[in-house]
Amino acid sequence: MAESTTARLPVSVAAGGPLLQVSEVTVRFGGLTALDAVDLDVMPGQITGLIGPNGAGKTTLFNVITGLQTPTSGHVRLSGSDINRWPPQRRARAGMARTFQRLELFVGLSVRDNLLSAWESRIPGGVFGRRSRDGRELADHVLRRLGLQHLADRPAGELPTGLGRMVELGRALCTEPKLLLLDEPSSGLDHVETEAFREVLLDTTAGGPDSPAVLLVEHDMRLVMEVCDQITVLEFGKRIACGTPDQIRNDGKVIAAYLGEPAG
Amino acid sequence: MTEFIILGIFSGASYALASMGIVLTYKTSGIFNFAYGGIALFLAYVFWTLRDKWHLNEWISLPLVLIVVAPLLGLLLEAIFRPLAAVAVEVQIVVALGILAFFITLVPIIFGATPTNLPTIFSHRHFRFDGITILFGGVAGESGLFTLLTAAGLAVFLFVLLQRTQFGTATRAVVDNRELAGLIAVNSNRVGQATWIISTVFAAISGILLSTQSGLDIREIPLLALYSLAPAVLGRLVSLPLAFGGSIALGVAQDVLQKFNTTGTVANIESSIPYFTLILLLMVYGSRLKEVRSSLRSLPDPGRYFEREKVRLPWGVGSAVAAGVLIPLMFSGPIQHDIAEAMAYSIVALTVVVLTGWTGQISIAQMSFAAIGAFSVAHMAGTVGSRFPLGILFGVLIAAPVGVIIGLPSLRLSGLFLALATLAFALIMDTFVYSFGAITGGQTGIGVSTVSLGPISLRGYTSQFYLCLAVLTVLAAGAWLLKRGPIGRRLSMVRDSPAAASTLGANLTLTKLAVFAVCGVVASIGGSLLAMTQQSVDPMNFAWNTSLQVLLLVVVGGRSFISGAVAAGALQLVQLLPGIPPVVHTYEPLTIAVTVILIAKGYQGLPQNAFDQARYCMAVLYRLPRPPRAARTAADRPAPDGPPVPVPAPEPVTAEVPALSTRVTHG
Repeated sequence: MAESTTARLPVSVAAGGPLLQVSEVTVRFGGLTALDAVDLDVMPGQITGLIGPNGAGKTTLFNVITGLQTPTSGHVRLSGSDINRWPPQRRARAGMARTFQRLELFVGLSVRDNLLSAWESRIPGGVFGRRSRDGRELADHVLRRLGLQHLADRPAGELPTGLGRMVELGRALCTEPKLLLLDEPSSGLDHVETEAFREVLLDTTAGGPDSPAVLLVEHDMRLVMEVCDQITVLEFGKRIACGTPDQIRNDGKVIAAYLGEPAG
Repeated sequence: MTEFIILGIFSGASYALASMGIVLTYKTSGIFNFAYGGIALFLAYVFWTLRDKWHLNEWISLPLVLIVVAPLLGLLLEAIFRPLAAVAVEVQIVVALGILAFFITLVPIIFGATPTNLPTIFSHRHFRFDGITILFGGVAGESGLFTLLTAAGLAVFLFVLLQRTQFGTATRAVVDNRELAGLIAVNSNRVGQATWIISTVFAAISGILLSTQSGLDIREIPLLALYSLAPAVLGRLVSLPLAFGGSIALGVAQDVLQKFNTTGTVANIESSIPYFTLILLLMVYGSRLKEVRSSLRSLPDPGRYFEREKVRLPWGVGSAVAAGVLIPLMFSGPIQHDIAEAMAYSIVALTVVVLTGWTGQISIAQMSFAAIGAFSVAHMAGTVGSRFPLGILFGVLIAAPVGVIIGLPSLRLSGLFLALATLAFALIMDTFVYSFGAITGGQTGIGVSTVSLGPISLRGYTSQFYLCLAVLTVLAAGAWLLKRGPIGRRLSMVRDSPAAASTLGANLTLTKLAVFAVCGVVASIGGSLLAMTQQSVDPMNFAWNTSLQVLLLVVVGGRSFISGAVAAGALQLVQLLPGIPPVVHTYEPLTIAVTVILIAKGYQGLPQNAFDQARYCMAVLYRLPRPPRAARTAADRPAPDGPPVPVPAPEPVTAEVPALSTRVTHG
């Protein structure tokens, strides 16, 4: 099933459609509307920013996209196919990978095994050791690219937050994703680490349309404005703006949302 | 008919007390109190000892238990569980089971194990209903009515307390998010203490009232707590009215069934109906069963850290070969036989290591899987010993699909509900399957003749020893190899972060089902070997509490290590060997229960802990380079470079505020 999606992918990309299309997604928890008819498109090869004040529903939207949360209504499409009813693992095999706002490392495994396990999960038959040599090569390659090779045999659970986030990023990259969802990757990182992360992020997407598209939830405005091609702003579960960094920077509603003034 | 319904309502009232107590603890502390039956048992014995042995009258002993003993015990339990609030549910379950085992083994040691019939607590008066004196005379009816009224009164009290008072709101805030509750000026520790006190007093009331009906029996009272699991799950562990109603319905169903089943056509259906209901509810509710506090558990487990098997494969196989050479030389036949049995036991324990230690799934039913293998051997090779391999095969063929069925609730259920499903399975085996004489040979079990493996007769103790040693070595070596490969990594993924595993492409469902099936098969093989060594298969040796015991032994031995399974077998050997003083037999289970409660948070087990501590002491003594401190217990482990547990940044915490407030209002 995963293969068929992969096979269809180039057609839709060639047609210029979005890689990921979120349309009118609504999520209600009891009386609370966490997401209210949110639309979001991620174009292939681009970095799309998703920003908004705390509690705006960014992580909920991530959970909907990756299949951890079923939306009350609305649709999620990946390369044109409706994936609403797909379980998370099927979405992952179709090319989605994510990191988590709270670290979700496999703390019982070494750093290298964290990356390797991701590869094995994505490859059909990987759990029985199929193409394990490719997996090892890829894991070592990613470790080098992230500058983690000296930590390869360290237990993942012993790493400080900053390195832990790097490992999560590496783990996501090891699934060779078409769409990379990063949930506040720079929170808990110091300046040096944030800088390193920015470089990795730009490096990851430097390959043009072939490189993975990124959906980035981030609080570090400087980082977002610098790296993103498109930005969507959420507030109280609603999309209040969407556009290029310049458009967002000058959007009255966004300024109001962040500075707390009534929108003009 | 009417009297059966009335009697049913009365026994339902007893279940109602227990199930409301379980719901109360869960709702207010986020801990599923498996120990509830044990606590109720202990406090009931305390009450009757005060009243009848020490001859204090009920007006002194009852307040003494309810106002002094139970609250103190509640405080102690709170102190045990508080540090476990945010750790993996697996640890909480293990500790709760440890406490259950503690009380079940402690009570007979302190108070003696003889069941006692008791008078009613208060005055005697004939209770009549519809002109019919209630069956068994007025006493049962009276205490039944008294239980019903107490249960109803306490239900109303609890409902008002939790829904209508500030305390109730504070409680729910603490359960939702302890840290946040602290920020809005709720003293979480006080609230936690209060809820544990209330639920322990509840356990005392349940225990005392149950004992007036069923007598003081160390088996009966914990059993009633097990009966009440189904009603508790009916209310999804949070609804008190549903727990109450479900209990009454269950009681009526049981007594009415008893009336229609007097001929025993459907074996023992009235005792197994609560467990069938439980497993059915778990399957039907499925993903709608959500654990409270589950939002907090996504944090990496502070107790869990990197563990790699300390015994390497060549050493493991080498010591097996050495054992094969030395043990027959050193020990007499009967001792070899006991060692063989302990090794068969280790095989069952190995499945607990894989399930609990590696995959993070608790199973309280591995001995029930062993029973499948044991009874298969008993039937196939009971008279014709050469059909022994056929018996093993037969057991394997049954155990695999059963493992899948038991794994089914794990599809969308988290650790707790899966543990409940396995417990329900074990109890169904105990009360339903084992009660068919055609399967188990009744109370006495089935004898197994001298078995043989092809041309090799397994009559001698030494040959049985070698067979068990070979099977254990092969299985352990296989597990060791799998653990280091992709399969081992997959198991760690499922255990450490199911969410991350699934968003990376791992199929949790298939993984869990496969693990349950394989572990069921291996446990069944272990059971077949147990049948061979014990030479008879007695259902009592495969009851749910034996599964519990295996789990606890593995925790003590080290649930993350294959060596832990071997250690579990060795601990079991203590119970088997001749010449061990009775005092050891008496106190070993108690010691194990206490050890489990103390070390459950670390994943290493006692031998590894002791070894590391000893090595550390030696290193200090001899001024050798210290071993890496990470090798010590998790609790002692300092952060090597930075906090091991990433503390969430302040932003995420504030981001949770709207979610919290809804849960407080609608939860």
